[in-house]
Amino acid sequence: MVPLENYLVLSAILFSLGVYGVLARRNAVLILMSVELMLNAVSLNFVAFAAYLDPDKITGAIFAIFVITVAAAEVGLALAIVIRLFRNRATSNVDEAATMKW
Amino acid sequence: MATEVLWWIFASAIVAVSVGVVTARTVIHSAIFLILSLCGVGAMYIFLTVEFLALVQFLIYGGAVTVLILLALMLTRGGGTVTEKLNGPQAPFAAAAGVALLLILTTVAIDTAWPGDTDDLPDMITVTPISEGLFMDFGAPFVIASVVLLVALVGAIILARQEDD
Amino acid sequence: MNPEYSWLLAAIPAAMFFVIAFAGRYLPRGGDYLGVAATGASFVLFFALLPDFLDVFDAEAHVLAVAGSIEWSTIGDFELRMGVFVDPVTVVMFAVVTTVALMVNIFSIGYMKGEPRYYWFFAVLQLFVASMLMLVMADNLLLLYISWELVGVCSFLLIGFYWEKRSATEAAKKAFITTRVGDVGLLIGILVFWKETNTFNIQEIIHMAEGGQISETYLFVGSICMFLGAMGKSAQVPFHVWLPDAMEGPTPVSALIHAATMVVAGVYLTARMLPVFAVADHMLLIITIVGLTTALLTSAIAFAQTDIKKVLAYSTVGKLGLMFVALGSGSVTAAMFLLMTHAFVKALLFLGSGSVILGTHHNQEMDKLGGIWKKMPITGTTFFVATLALAGLPPLAMFWSEDELFAAAKDEWGLWALALAMLAVFATGIFMVRLFIRTFTGQPRDPHVYEHTRETPAVMTGPLVFLCVLSVLSGLVVFHGVGTALGFPGGISEFVFQHEPHRYEIDWALAIPSVLVALAGVAIGAFVYWGNDLRRSTALANAQPRAYDLIRNKFYFDEAYQYVIDRGVLGFSYLTSWFDRYVVNDTGVNGSAEVTGYAGSVLKLFQTGRLPNYAMAIAVGVIGLALAGLWLRG
Repeated sequence: MVPLENYLVLSAILFSLGVYGVLARRNAVLILMSVELMLNAVSLNFVAFAAYLDPDKITGAIFAIFVITVAAAEVGLALAIVIRLFRNRATSNVDEAATMKW
Repeated sequence: MATEVLWWIFASAIVAVSVGVVTARTVIHSAIFLILSLCGVGAMYIFLTVEFLALVQFLIYGGAVTVLILLALMLTRGGGTVTEKLNGPQAPFAAAAGVALLLILTTVAIDTAWPGDTDDLPDMITVTPISEGLFMDFGAPFVIASVVLLVALVGAIILARQEDD
Repeated sequence: MNPEYSWLLAAIPAAMFFVIAFAGRYLPRGGDYLGVAATGASFVLFFALLPDFLDVFDAEAHVLAVAGSIEWSTIGDFELRMGVFVDPVTVVMFAVVTTVALMVNIFSIGYMKGEPRYYWFFAVLQLFVASMLMLVMADNLLLLYISWELVGVCSFLLIGFYWEKRSATEAAKKAFITTRVGDVGLLIGILVFWKETNTFNIQEIIHMAEGGQISETYLFVGSICMFLGAMGKSAQVPFHVWLPDAMEGPTPVSALIHAATMVVAGVYLTARMLPVFAVADHMLLIITIVGLTTALLTSAIAFAQTDIKKVLAYSTVGKLGLMFVALGSGSVTAAMFLLMTHAFVKALLFLGSGSVILGTHHNQEMDKLGGIWKKMPITGTTFFVATLALAGLPPLAMFWSEDELFAAAKDEWGLWALALAMLAVFATGIFMVRLFIRTFTGQPRDPHVYEHTRETPAVMTGPLVFLCVLSVLSGLVVFHGVGTALGFPGGISEFVFQHEPHRYEIDWALAIPSVLVALAGVAIGAFVYWGNDLRRSTALANAQPRAYDLIRNKFYFDEAYQYVIDRGVLGFSYLTSWFDRYVVNDTGVNGSAEVTGYAGSVLKLFQTGRLPNYAMAIAVGVIGLALAGLWLRG
């Protein structure tokens, strides 16, 4: 059988890749995709813990559902922001939106 | 034994396509890799016997969210330009941060003595206990989540609306 | 009238100050009649109260009336009371202040006619009188100090009355700052006594001092500090420099300052505190020496002055010195008697000089005057009487008071003090006769001035005549018969005293030399300047050029002060300004601003405004926290 640690390590790899993507990418849509990667890693973690360790077995699934819900809301808002940014500045690169600079 | 082999194949595939998400040279490629990665995670849910969740994953992530992303790419013309550099100047530092995080998380995951039997896989988790939990034990968060979705919807519309000026 | 109403003496002019100050400019003639009415009311009220003061006179306790006191404030266990204390010394001061103030007020109507800020002059005059009256009846040192400062402020305002003139503002500042040096001493003295006795009440302090309840060191320090205040106010050497400069004020003000309200405050304070000073070591000797030094130095300076008012100013300082000699000899009687007679004579002299100044169209230099007696008969005659009175000729007022002084000085200190005091009186005779001869007799030096000279109106000559009568007769109160006829227990020496009353009797061994000295002074003065001829005096000056230079430059006091101020005060100011500029400002204020600014300019680089950098910061933070958690877990 597949032990719990395998899932945890897989989720850690996904999460780290997501972190790398968020930090390295310039395009706002790509950053958003990396965030989705991280969210999935977290969901996987929840579900794996629940399946192996939780007597109820279902809490992790419910958490995952909430994560998906929030992620959907987040994606909707974030993409709206990206579109607004693009319309105003003709770019979707976040490092070009630097008006907060001193 | 067959399950384990299958798991390893899926796990390797997920890692591979996830690496593809963050390293692809074009945005469209990245998006396609993301769909594959999300579906792979959905497969993992099947390994964990939560088949309902896998279904939700395929439908919402694999379908709706990625479509939304592709739509955004289309609107922002991000997909067509191959020449534009996709990585920022701090990419090397980002890689270092990612590696560091990976090392820490892996260490913790392996070193920790988890309570309970970590080798035992449960029986099939059907939709009935999930729905019971969702609508009874987690009723309040469920309602709040719906409000969150509504607010996000209104916010997205206001933000993305074409102004007449 | 109940003697407890004596506070009204000060309250009436004080109230009138506010009326004239705020409403005076809208009243016809600037409300000058209100000023006269206020001082007149005080004058009348004093004589209405006088029989009652005398009724409650208790020879044993040496107290006329303690007319109650009110609680002012309570701080913890300490209760601060203020009230009115009237004894014979205060009664004499009341008489002098109200009389002179009334005369000066009337005289000012003529003298100040047509001057700018006419109403303001009368307003401050009322406050001046009120402050002085409050000062002399204060029963505690705190109230006395407040009045003391009020007197100082009023003199500042009046000396600087013509503030368009630079010299007037300079003189006002000089008077204020010089007396301030002494006032700080007075304040320290008051606090020292308060610390030792826990009271501000003068009678309680005197009682405790005489009972030996104040340690010797505190007693001496407190007395010295307090006497410094008196020296500053009464223009004793080395604080005498402000008084001659104070002549920049209107002449009636000079009369008031010199006779009644300002400079005698120091004499009054010393007389009031004399029982305390007498207990302190060597204090009386110090007072005597200060008085003698002042009397002699300023008498010498007066020889070389050509401005009428300056001569009179120096003569005032000299006479104040003699009052301190009397106090130093332990004779309150002589000091107060001298103060009273001098007040009348000096008020007459100053008002007379004011009359001359107005009559000759603002001329006060002897070198331009001369021979105006014929033109100004009343002024000239009263001035002549006052000159002889100040010189100490019998039977004019000051002879009798100086006789008391000589007796006291001889009894207390012996012949040396007597001789020096007589020398001062002798000098007074010479320079006063010089002043009179050069101003009023001989040939006119400036025909133009002489031609336009005319006698002043009755509103000015009236007070002159009144004061002239007082200058002649006020000395006679020394006799027992005169005193009892006026309702007093006897002559002034039986009324004002510190330990034992004594009846005045002429001591021929003292009176004859005294008369001879005064006569000699007058005679020498008359001989040198007879006929307004300067040949003899010029020869005298040429014979001793160095001495003449010394007295003409007033013993270089002003120059010495200027030198000390330039070197010491300005040097110290330079140091403090350097400290302020470089340490406080550059290092403290600008330095902290620069440090903050530099820190900001460095720290702002962290705020790149680029989203990826912020995300990176979050990631680094998370990694850091995770590592910390791992490390803590072990």
